[in-house]
Parts: sequence; structure tokens; C-alpha cells
Amino acid sequence: MPSQEEATRVPVDDFVRDELYPGYKQPFGGQPFVAGPVRPFSRADNARYWLRDSLHFSEGMVPASIATLDDAQTWGAQLGAEIVGVPPTRGSVNRLAGTHVYIGTIDVDTEWQVQARAARFGQYVTPILRDFDSYWAMRAGELQAAYDHLDNLDLSAMGPAAVWTSLKDAYAFHRRAWFIHFEVMYVLTANYLAFYALAEEIGLAGSAVSGFLAGQQTFYSKTDEELWRLAGRARELEVTGPLLHASPDSMRAQLSALPHGAGWLDEFDAFLEVYGQRTEETCRIDTPSWIEDPSAPLYAIGAFLSKPTGFDFFAARQQAIAVRDEQIEAARRSVNGADLARFNEALASNQAANFAWWNEEHNYLIDRRAAIPVRRATLELGARLAADGRIERPEDMFFLFKEELYGLMEGGVTAAGATWKDLAAMIPDRRAYFEDWKRRGPELPTMLGTIPDTVPDPIMIEVFGLSGRFLEALRGGAARGGIVEIRGFPAAKGVVEGVARVITTVADIHLVQPGDVLVCGGTTTEWTPVFGIIAACVCDTGGSLTHAAIVSREYGIPCVVGTALATQQIKTGDRVRVDGRAGTVQVLASGQ
Amino acid sequence: MILDLGDIRAADAPRVGPKMARLGELAAAGWRVPDGYAVTADALADWLPAPARAELDGLLGALIPAQAAADPGALAGVSARARELVEGQPLPAALAEAVAAAHDRLERRARAAVADADARPDADAGAGALRVAVRSSAVSEDGAGASFAGQYETYLGVSGIADVLGHIRKCWASGYSAHALEYRRRLDRDGAGTRPHALDLAVGVLELVDVRSAGVAFTLDPVTGDRNTLVVEANWGYGESVVSGQVSPDHWTVDRTTGDIVTRRTGDKRVWSVFSPAAGRVVLEPAGADRAARACLTDDEVRHLAQQATRIEAAEGGAPQDVEWAIARGLPFPDSVFILQHRPETTWTAGPQDAGAGKGTGEPAAGFDPVRYALRNVFRVPGA
Repeated sequence: MPSQEEATRVPVDDFVRDELYPGYKQPFGGQPFVAGPVRPFSRADNARYWLRDSLHFSEGMVPASIATLDDAQTWGAQLGAEIVGVPPTRGSVNRLAGTHVYIGTIDVDTEWQVQARAARFGQYVTPILRDFDSYWAMRAGELQAAYDHLDNLDLSAMGPAAVWTSLKDAYAFHRRAWFIHFEVMYVLTANYLAFYALAEEIGLAGSAVSGFLAGQQTFYSKTDEELWRLAGRARELEVTGPLLHASPDSMRAQLSALPHGAGWLDEFDAFLEVYGQRTEETCRIDTPSWIEDPSAPLYAIGAFLSKPTGFDFFAARQQAIAVRDEQIEAARRSVNGADLARFNEALASNQAANFAWWNEEHNYLIDRRAAIPVRRATLELGARLAADGRIERPEDMFFLFKEELYGLMEGGVTAAGATWKDLAAMIPDRRAYFEDWKRRGPELPTMLGTIPDTVPDPIMIEVFGLSGRFLEALRGGAARGGIVEIRGFPAAKGVVEGVARVITTVADIHLVQPGDVLVCGGTTTEWTPVFGIIAACVCDTGGSLTHAAIVSREYGIPCVVGTALATQQIKTGDRVRVDGRAGTVQVLASGQ
Repeated sequence: MILDLGDIRAADAPRVGPKMARLGELAAAGWRVPDGYAVTADALADWLPAPARAELDGLLGALIPAQAAADPGALAGVSARARELVEGQPLPAALAEAVAAAHDRLERRARAAVADADARPDADAGAGALRVAVRSSAVSEDGAGASFAGQYETYLGVSGIADVLGHIRKCWASGYSAHALEYRRRLDRDGAGTRPHALDLAVGVLELVDVRSAGVAFTLDPVTGDRNTLVVEANWGYGESVVSGQVSPDHWTVDRTTGDIVTRRTGDKRVWSVFSPAAGRVVLEPAGADRAARACLTDDEVRHLAQQATRIEAAEGGAPQDVEWAIARGLPFPDSVFILQHRPETTWTAGPQDAGAGKGTGEPAAGFDPVRYALRNVFRVPGA
């Protein structure tokens, strides 16, 4: 028998190498990958199309967010597409222009692979759709259990090693959450697109389908209702002044000074306890949660307060539901027989496994939340490292890559041989690089590389709006001067004339005034409250499943998405006419 | 045990079969249908005397299990003996009396109608001898799933209570025809393995309309599945020549939206089904050259039939239907149009083209299978 000491250690020292093979050093980036990690552009990328994803990432990514982006739209999408077996696509892949995210797709281009994926697609999807409630409850339960653990860690009481362990747990969870995201997304998108196809087959407009699926309560619609309720309470307690007029920085102090201000703030803080675990963008380690910085929900409450009196949030929602039900009944009246039976089955399938619902609902469990535990642990670790003099301040952590951090934390040196000192010296440059690219964001082209005639991936068409018309507008649009009519996807009906407000980042959302026609790249959940005050919405990107399309229908305002170039062709102050049924935006008069 | 047509409703389908139940609903809704009555499945369930039942079980028992290989020779032999055995059994006295009473009521109603209209379609049928059709009405026939149609027989032109009772026995016996036995052997359904003699069968007795022309109207194109195309097929005489496919019928297509006739094709109608006084029943006879080449319906009749079929479809919640109809001699149009039966159209309602369906899922193609639509229509996977 060997001694216990001999049994527990067999040194690996003789086998340690820098290189995997002579002359081959593994490149930087999380490996292994299903297809490929986040990379900068290379010349070979000119042969493919790359869509700017300002929908999810409008301001650019700090180094620490590259790893979380890798987990999400890159690795998560690739693994999800692989496991679900989506026939035409192996998911998405990302490139960075400076710090800004572009998305491309990985087409499946051999007949055998398409068939093999089709065969397993059915095996995977069928049981999930048969009982989606139970399936989603299981996944949501898993995510919630992780938050119960990670959110309740008392990081400040931990030693640095335990904080680092917690950060690694948070990374691991983040990656898992994003696999769930894409697994569910592909399954539900298939169900939705199947309904879309059926609708077209029986003579209905496929684009009407997402309207049939509107109005189901989500965690985020409950959030909006709570914000609306808090706006009402602010009126009752006579604390609306600061909410309408104070700057975010001084709002809390001004509220506290009012007789009932503290009481209202208690209610608001109770709201944040439940609804505040969300950030303004996806995957970004550098953006605070609402609990850390509540200016977004306070702005939303202000927006509700500036709605003309008489507007009733709940009545508007009820109206949206009534419109949905009327649309469903009208559709039912226009088909019959076996078509009607199929329509009803497809509707039932999609009501039970509803992409339009999940598209909002999942944000509070994944998109806007999964990175918060990583951020918390990162900042806590940063505080310890700053105290040790490794870095200047906790936020410097945002400018380290995850792989660098692993190297430094576990061996004192990165794979490239850099020490804490070397990296600390790089941080100011990296910060300046980020800020420089942040300024350049609004000028970046909507699409880079080769603009295709068509895109084979139906998900890119319905979620990102890459229709043939969108692509055509991109090819020809930049050359045309004096545009008077912009065409897009008719996302929510209604005709409105108003003054355009061009907004390119959610950070500028407070500039939107009641009655404005919002013109933007695309909207996400964070934009939802603004739909309570705008007259219409126009987006560069988007299809029938886009956030702006879904929310506009629920708020009963006209919406045109997928215009490709509206943010470039329309200027703030222009008088525009939006026809949400025709999918057109006319510039009636220049604001200049 | 007996239900007059006027008392039959949809809810009676488990007792009288969907065919008779639908006819009852049509009559109640005011459609012109042949009058009649139904001998219910429960009334017939145990009509065979116990010794005959035991003998039948012995004969059939060996054939029924699904595992048993089909031996067409043995099947035919057993079938012939079983049918002979069944046809030779008298109906229980109580049942025979009830049928006789119902038949008497039917004849009285028919006579009253003749007195009313003085132009009843069976006016030339001869005094007192009401001609009827004795129809098998399988309780599970024409269901939403696999079509059981054609497993049982129907006898046209029967008259007199003795003949009616005999043909009720014949209907039952047709449940042991070779092809019915083969069908049951494959399905081995309804516990047939333990009670091989059991059948789930009702019998309808319906006044036989004196038919000039008859056929079928479809509320979709049965070939293409096109829902905007209505199809009418017809021949001279009783519709059996059309339904049984023994003739190339006249064929019209009608646009659902406009109600206009879109195409017309005169068939090659070499035979027709007519009542033969000599045989005492409806038989298939060669048609004269004159009839063979001449369209058997007027355009007005075609349009009317197409419209009636869509009305029945609408009453059925929009499910595509095929409707059997007949046009009576001696009555003015449109009073001359009788609806004989209708049923859900089963070729297309199962979903367009099952080929390749369920690929990867092991599922049969139902109305809406998201996987099937996603693969075929969305992802456009070849062959899906």
C-alpha cells in the first residue's frame, strides 16, 4: 500500500507545456466552441452578411462583457441550435467592430445535415411542445433556484478566495442560463413560425399571427402595471413634482423632502425588491441593475405621469386583449372546415407555447438578469483587488477579459504572460477605446459584409426583420436622397402624424416627450414604458416577433419595423406620418 | 329499440350510427330526406339465439386474432357459412313486432304524404307496396378516423314487412362478409377475440325515392383538396352506380365564392342503377346510348346541389362533407331534390398529404403538427 500522501498526488509537472503541439498555442478565447467564439472582423468576413445588433447591445462591450456575450448570442445560440436540431441554421456567430456587436448566421448547407437535423428536430421539439407549461416551469425553477442562491450570497463577508469561487459559479450559471434561453427560443420560434406558415396556407396573413398571441400577462407586463400603480400612488401622495421634473441624481433627495415622499419611496423600494433585478442591456457587466440605479423605473413612472389624464393603463391592456380576440374571431370567420380545425389547433398550440409571451417573459429570468450575479461578484472581487492595490478601483475589472482574470487569479499571470501590473497599465487605454467606440456607435452601418438577396434563416427574418425588402432597402437606400416614404413591416395598425424623435440608445430614452413618434434602431424590454407616451414607433430592424411590434399592439399605437434606415433617413423634429397597416412612414416636413 | 326518423337526433349516433343520426338531424332541420326508421344497435346486439351465437363464435374465433395470417380461402368459406347461419335465424318476436309496427307507421305516413301532395315520388310504386332501402348503419362507420364505409351492405327496393325483416338479417349477415372479417381481423377491435359474433350495427329502413338522377356533391375538390372548388358527380338512376365507382359519372366543378359552374364533363355512363320489377330490387343495368352521353342534371340543379352541400357543411361546423343526393321523378325542382346522407370528407380532413409526415416524430399527421409545418413550410426541408 502506498502512503496516503503518495496516493493523492501524481505530479503533472513533467507534462506541463505552453503549447498543445510544437508551434501551436491555443488562441485566446473560450474553448471549446460549437462553431466559433466572438472575434474581431477579418477580411474573410467580407463574403458574408453581418447585422449590427443594436437591438440588444447599443453601446458596445467592455472586455469583461465579451465572455458573457460569448455565453449568450454566440455559444448559447450555437449549442441551442445544435441540440434542438434546427435544420437550416447552426445558430449565430458574432464579430466586433471596435466594441460593437454584429451578428451573422451559420447556414447548414449540406443536404445530409439538413435531413439529419430535421429528423432529430421532431424528436426534440414534439415532447416539449406537448407539455410546454411543465417544461418551462422546470427551466424557470432551475433559474430561480440559482438566483435564490447567487443573489443571497453575502459576498462582503467572504474572503477573496470565496468571492472568486462565487464569481466562477456566477460565470457557470450565466452560460447555463443562455443555453436554456436558446433551447427554448428555437422550440418556441418553430411553433410560432409553423402557425405563421399554416395561416398563410389557409389564406390568412401570416403577419397577423403574432397579434393572435398578444396580451398574455408576463413578469414584465406586471412590472409595467406596478410602475403605473406607483404613478397613481405618486398622484395620491402628491409627490409627482420631482418625478416629472427632477434630474435622476437629485430625485431621491427631492422626494424625501416632501411630506409623503419617504412613504412613496418605501413603496418604490418594495417594488424594486421584487422587480429590480434587471439591467438595461444584455450581457453587459458594466451596467447596473435597477436596484443599483433606479433612474430607469423612475423615468418610467414620470412617463406614465406625463400621460394625459384619463389614460388608463389597465383599460389600454383590456382594449388590446379585446382587439386580439376580435382578430381571432375575424380569422375564424374567414376559414372553415378542416382549415378552421387546423387554425384552432395551431392557435391552441401557440397559446400554450407562446413565443410572443415568452419573448418578454424570459427577459427577467435570463437576458436582463443572468449577468447580474457575475457583475456583483466581479465588483466585490474588484473591491478586494483595489484594496490590495492590484487595480485602482473596482470598475477597472470591466476592462479585463475573463481569461485574463482566470490566469491572474489562479496563477498570477495571464496566458499571454501579463501580470496584474501589466494589465493595470492597459486599463486606461482600454477604457478610452471603449468610450471612443461608444461615441461612434450611432454612425456604424446597419449591415457589413455582403448584403444578401435573401436570408435562409426564418428566425433572422421574423426576429431581426431581415426580409427581402429590408435587404433591398439596405442595398439601395444609402444612395437615394430626399426620401419621402420609408417602407417597413406593418407591425401594429393605426395612422398617426407627429414629430419624430430619433433615439439610438436606451440611455437617451428620457429625451422622449409625450406624443413623439419614436424612431430607433429597435426596442427591447427597457423601452417598454416609453410606449405609454409615444404616438407611434418606427424601427430600423424587426419583424413580426420583434419587441416593438408586440408591445405596440398591446399599447394600441401604430408601429412600423424593419425599415432598415429610418434612423438615418429621419431626423429629430421631422414631421412624419406613420401608417401601421400599410407599413409606411412619410416624411411630411423637415424639422430643420 | 326502434326510432322513427323524426325522433332521431345527433345524440342517438351511438345507437343508430352516425349515418342515420345525421339523417335525423337533417329531417329535423327541415331538409327534404326520405322518411324511415332505425332499428337500434342495442336492440340488435343480442338478437341471435344463444346456440347460433355459440356456433358463430366457434366459426369465427380462429380467424379473428390479429396474429392469424389471412387465408383468403378459409376466410371465404367461414364467411359463407356464417352468413348462411345468420340469415336463417328468426328475429326475436318482440323485435319483429316492433319493426312491423314501425313499418306500418312509415307506410301510413307515406300514404298521407301522397294524399297531401298527390305526387309522391313512389307514386308509381303500386298500391300499399312502399319500396324501401334497408341500410346497414355501422355505429362506428364514417367516423372521424379510418373509413369503415363499404363494410356492410345496403338493399334497395325492398317492400313488405316480411322482406324487410329478412333484409335486416341480411344486413347483419353482411357483417361477416369476407372483407368485413378481414378488416376485423386486422383491427382485432372491440374485444372481437372474445365475442367474435358481436357487431356494432344498427339498421335503417328508409323510403326509396323514385329517382331520376343521383350522385354525390363534395364541398372540396376530392382530388386536389381545393376548398374553393365544389364538385358534383352524377348518373341517371340511383346513386349506387356512382358511389360504387362502376361508372364514369358526369362531373361538374362549381366555384364556392361565385356559385358559378366552372367546368362540366359528361361522363361515359354505360350502366345505371334502376329498380327492376322482375328482380324486386334495384339492379345495375346497361344504359342506352342516349342516356350514356347526355348530362343527367341541368345547370340549375348542379348549382342548387352545390349550394345545398355548402349549407350542410356550414351546419356541420364547416367540416368538408360529401353529400349523397337524389332527384326524384315527377316533382317540380327544387322540391325534387332529396338529401340521402352526408359524411365528413375523410381524404383531406386528415391533413394534406401524409407522405413524409411525422418524420422524426413517429406521430401520425394530425390537423396541425407544429413540427411538420416547421420542417416543411418554414425550414423547407426537402421531403418533409
